[in-house]
Amino acid sequence: AQAIHGRKQPYRVAELAKLMYNDMLSTAQVLQTWRGQNGGAEAEGKEDDEEEDGLFKRRREGGGADDDERMVPRLDYEALEEKWKDEDAVAKLRRRFARAKVTGANAEDLGSDDDN
Amino acid sequence: MTTAPTPTPLKFTGAKYLIQRLVLATLTGRPIRISQIRSSSHTAPGLAPHEVSFLRLLDAITNGSHIEFSYTGTTVLYKPGLITGSAAGHGAAGGVIRHELPADCARGVSYFLLPLCLLAPFSKAQVNVLFTGPGVITSSTEAGDVSADTVRTAVLPVFRSFGIERNVEVRILRRSNCGREGKGGGGEVQVVLGHQVRLPKTLHLMSAGRVKRVRGVAYSTGVAGANNARLIEAARGVLNEFCPDTYVFSDVSPAPLVPAPERNNPSAKKKTGLGFGLSLVAEGNTGVLYSADIASPPQGGEPPEDLGKKCAYQLLEAVGQGGCVSSVAAPSVFTLMAMGSEDVGRIAVGKDVVGSEQVLQLARDLRAFGMSGWGLREGDEEDEVVVSIVGKGVGNVGRKIA
Repeated sequence: AQAIHGRKQPYRVAELAKLMYNDMLSTAQVLQTWRGQNGGAEAEGKEDDEEEDGLFKRRREGGGADDDERMVPRLDYEALEEKWKDEDAVAKLRRRFARAKVTGANAEDLGSDDDN
Repeated sequence: MTTAPTPTPLKFTGAKYLIQRLVLATLTGRPIRISQIRSSSHTAPGLAPHEVSFLRLLDAITNGSHIEFSYTGTTVLYKPGLITGSAAGHGAAGGVIRHELPADCARGVSYFLLPLCLLAPFSKAQVNVLFTGPGVITSSTEAGDVSADTVRTAVLPVFRSFGIERNVEVRILRRSNCGREGKGGGGEVQVVLGHQVRLPKTLHLMSAGRVKRVRGVAYSTGVAGANNARLIEAARGVLNEFCPDTYVFSDVSPAPLVPAPERNNPSAKKKTGLGFGLSLVAEGNTGVLYSADIASPPQGGEPPEDLGKKCAYQLLEAVGQGGCVSSVAAPSVFTLMAMGSEDVGRIAVGKDVVGSEQVLQLARDLRAFGMSGWGLREGDEEDEVVVSIVGKGVGNVGRKIA
């Protein structure tokens, strides 16, 4: 029971509500903790490394654009292509689409959708 | 400027979230001081051209703002004035403010449009700004800006639920992709935001519904229109399986000419902003919008088929995140909710939309500006969070006094 209790369940909403206004953590650390990616402690360690390692820091400056907030997310499109080949993922997402009656050349095979 | 004669400026550091903080400062009337703007950079310390340009725009649409730079540009002190919009006598000619973007601007025009749309509902007069000059990029950019089409079709309609619906328009007069090295464009965009409200309505959006159709715009500037057809074909190939009601408009335009004076020929012009791109918007049956954007990189080398597919995948991801607003519109929606009347507004959003650095920082910044904290609870659907935000009723502080 201890082990289960100790391991935090990721993506819990109450957890985020608690973490959100904790100003001791940076937003990136909050997200890492929330997603259960080995907690904030390790993230802090990484932060320290960045400050010590002059080389790494300089390279980050070269990146430049990364410092700005992005509206269009950076996605790994190859992974996505794989993901949408997967039947389960497709079926899961199809629930988010309304099934419209179609009038088109290929209306037949599109209309005969599986039930949700 | 509101009650106390000189409230002490709020202090922030870093170049990140600069625009967001400037907008919040203007809306709440709190002066802010932002320091350490890229102070550790050796090559480009201080404010970037697009940030300076945004400050100029703020200066143009407000009256009595006070902006102070340090010598290096790493510190800015901003004391907001009243948002007057394009009122006559404040730099607006014929009711239109011309805002020229410099040629070295690497951000798309949506970088300016989105904050402007947030400020405009609280303005005294209508806001009518013409973005022009050699730096206007209407397409989406490598830096991660959405295209002006997406602002028009996926962000502005969201404002309708706040009671901001009349005379709201983004006109793309001339299209442009990004120019060489991702800098500069040559497009032209006019924004008319003529619906001013005292307070935005309290929002209750709980049901995301289902996506019923997908619309989009494919654009080619200065390149063959066949690129559009190839983009659309590839995107439809992916999307047809989910949503047969997919229709993408195609817009082909010549490349914009911008002045490029030489010693021998002072009136020389050059073409810029060649390329193509795609903006897709999925519409739900409850009026929910998800969007995706992609454009050809300035160095080229990406066939339209790949880009079309990528854009479709990006749209599927956005739909998969769920919720009543996409991550593109979420910051605007949350900000307007916080500015609304003193009532609890609720909205169901995807976990990945709330769980982004930008939104978390927005929550923190809103609190720093004296707004109330957000309440989060589990949504009805899985992967959804219901965010409840109590408005502070300070939205139209400028107009009440003026």
